[in-house]
Amino acid sequence: MNKSVRLICFYAGLVIVWQVLYTLKLWPPYVFPSPVSVLQSLRQGFADHSFWIGLGVSMRRVLEGYLISVVLGVALGVLIAWSRTLEETIGGMVMSLQSLPSICWLPLAVLWFGLNEKAILFVIVMGSLLAVTLDTTLGIRHVPKIYLMAGRNLGARGPRMFFHVLVPASLPHLVSGLKHGWAFAWRSLISGEMIFVSLGLGQLLMMGRDLNDMSQVIAVMVLIMAIGYVVDRAIFEQVERRMRVKWGLVAAA
Amino acid sequence: MSAMLQPIETPIEPPVQHRTKLSMRGVSRDFVLSKGNMVALDDIDLEVREGEFVCIVGPSGCGKSTLLNLIAGLDHPTRGEIRLDDDRVEGPGPDRILLFQEHGLFPWLSVIENVEFGLRMTGVPKRERRERARDYLRLVHLTRFENSYIHQLSGGMKQRVALARSLAMEPSLLLMDEPFAALDAQTRDMLHDELERIWTETRKTIVFITHNVREAVRLGDRVVVLTYRPGRIKREFDITLPRPRHVEEPDVAHVASEVLSVLREETQRAALEEFNQ
Repeated sequence: MNKSVRLICFYAGLVIVWQVLYTLKLWPPYVFPSPVSVLQSLRQGFADHSFWIGLGVSMRRVLEGYLISVVLGVALGVLIAWSRTLEETIGGMVMSLQSLPSICWLPLAVLWFGLNEKAILFVIVMGSLLAVTLDTTLGIRHVPKIYLMAGRNLGARGPRMFFHVLVPASLPHLVSGLKHGWAFAWRSLISGEMIFVSLGLGQLLMMGRDLNDMSQVIAVMVLIMAIGYVVDRAIFEQVERRMRVKWGLVAAA
Repeated sequence: MSAMLQPIETPIEPPVQHRTKLSMRGVSRDFVLSKGNMVALDDIDLEVREGEFVCIVGPSGCGKSTLLNLIAGLDHPTRGEIRLDDDRVEGPGPDRILLFQEHGLFPWLSVIENVEFGLRMTGVPKRERRERARDYLRLVHLTRFENSYIHQLSGGMKQRVALARSLAMEPSLLLMDEPFAALDAQTRDMLHDELERIWTETRKTIVFITHNVREAVRLGDRVVVLTYRPGRIKREFDITLPRPRHVEEPDVAHVASEVLSVLREETQRAALEEFNQ
């Protein structure tokens, strides 16, 4: 049995269990909707464009925030790896800030920036920046000494050493940092949107709650998961796999 | 019949000149450790002539690698001075390239890009560096693999790429830090022949470090034995056996046993000291 067949069987089984539970009528339909009504909500949402708009708004926000995080996070990570003083001071702080769920920043963000896009952007950046920073620092720290010696031996110095040896050598960690950063950015965005209402997928979910429409809530949840999964698989997994094959970290399939 | 089994060999003339290539005067290197100072190298005086193939042997921990790092300019002596063609060694330079045991090839670059790397860093234009890289890949017989990645090569091939990468810089002095230690015996034999051929063709000066005495006698015009902690020069042997030599030759084995008897005192001392720690 190949992989796709196994996957189809798994998800079909899940839907069947769901349908059976629904048919048993353990809970009223407004608490536990059927797969069919969730599917209808999905179709309805795309048909009246509300899901398309929510998707567009959310993607724009997450991309903006993610881009800022990547630029700042990589720069900060490089600085921390480069300076011992920065590592002892900022490095420790980054670690402790990373344990803070990004939504904790929302009250401050609203106070500082007002009820607008900037506040949401701030929450996304605070959520994903630190993950990128940590992995960047780790990547540079773990560059085998032999590469640096070989580079120096062959005349690499200053910026050339940085771009031609240090950056490619820390690429495996860097890519996983970008991946973690994306996952945190996506989560931060949704939780931000749920509390702070202004379009986006998070708001669609809360709207479902307010209308007591659990089909819509689950439909939006499915959508959120699908986006997270697709980006991870279609982008990061591909990049990671190609790099690992090229570097000989795994055998080519 | 038996004559056919004899390989036909032309004698090899070593390219040794009388001019001094490298000189080390009273070179010492101390390391500051938590339990006090450790003298890795103590008062090393060494002259290497142009075109000479010098092998340095010593027990592990005698500072052999430190010696090469000093010559390469990747490390600085605590006392004494190192001169190359009468110029004081202050830092790394393209005139002396170090080959590491773990080859240090970059997995993110293809074979030819690895060979080009040093030329790229020193600003050689793209067309010229590609041509030069191809020349040196041809020299180590790896033309067919120029677009492969490092992990696709065998251990012996990796060392040949590392050799081509070093030679592409056209250094006058080649420093080799146990380059063949991790290879199997057959591959090593083959690389000895290849290195000897390249040495006579390119007329490089070579300082070669190994813990394998037979390898040292097989390759070197001179074998220098270092003592264990602190590393000092214990004795030097001039190897005048005709080239090409083979590791299994009785003459090589005989000279090697002489060198080994001198080296053994040091390896025993090393073992004892490490045991008592």
